Amino acid sequence: MFEIEYGNDGAVLCRGRLDAAQCEKAEGFLGGLEGANTLDFTALEYISSAGLGILLKTQKRLVAGGAGLRIINVNNHIYDVFRYSGFHAIFDIEAKE
Amino acid sequence: MQRDFPRHLDSLTPLYEFAEEILAANDIAEGMRFPIHLAMEELFVNMVKYNPGVSTEIQVTVTPNGSNGVRVSLIDDGGVEFDVTATRPVDINAPLEERKPGGLGIHLIQNLVDTLEYEYQQGRGKVIFTKGSRNEDV
Repeated sequence: MFEIEYGNDGAVLCRGRLDAAQCEKAEGFLGGLEGANTLDFTALEYISSAGLGILLKTQKRLVAGGAGLRIINVNNHIYDVFRYSGFHAIFDIEAKE
Repeated sequence: MQRDFPRHLDSLTPLYEFAEEILAANDIAEGMRFPIHLAMEELFVNMVKYNPGVSTEIQVTVTPNGSNGVRVSLIDDGGVEFDVTATRPVDINAPLEERKPGGLGIHLIQNLVDTLEYEYQQGRGKVIFTKGSRNEDV
C-alpha cells in the first residue's frame, strides 16, 4: 500500500511502501509538481530502486526549472538506500530524528 | 517455506507478506528485514522485466539461516541469463544532470546482502542470497 497526498502544511506526504508496483501512482502525483516542494517521508516505510527512479526524474525536472525537492523525516533504512545510491548528494535530505 | 508467484508486479505485495510472515515468525531483527525485502523485490522485478514473454511462475524460498539470518532463493524457469553477481558500472557520485533513472537495483542488492550467488543451467536461473546469521543488525 502506498499513498501520496498534500498535507496541511503544503508538504507532500508519502505513506507506506513505494515499490515497483506503486510507481505509477507516485509518478502521477510527482509529475504534477512545480517549483520547490517538500516530501515528508515520516510514514514512508520502504522504497526500492523503482521509487528512486521516480524521485530522480522529478528532481531533474524541478532542478532544471530552478527549484527542487527537499525530503524530510527519512527513516534510517531509506537513508541507507539514498546513501548507497549517492542520492544524499543530489537531494536535500533530512533524516528522521 | 516456498511459494510460487505469478510473474507480475502485482505479486510484490503477496511476496512481501509471504516473506514478512516468515521473518516475523523467526524473530528476524527489524533492521534486517528492510534489506531482505529490498533484495527480493529487485531480483523479482528483474525477472519480470527482462522476460516479458515468459509465463512461468517464479519460485521463492525463504529459509531461516542460523541466528537472526535468512537464506532466500528465487528460481526463474524460462528466463534469460542475467548474472546478478556481475559488477556493473554505477557512478553514484555523478551529478544530477548526468544521472539517468535505472540501473541501481543490482547495485543495491550487491551492497545490502551478505552473500549473493547466481547459477544458470538449461534455461533455469537461480539466485541465492543470505543476510544476517551472525546476530548482526544491517
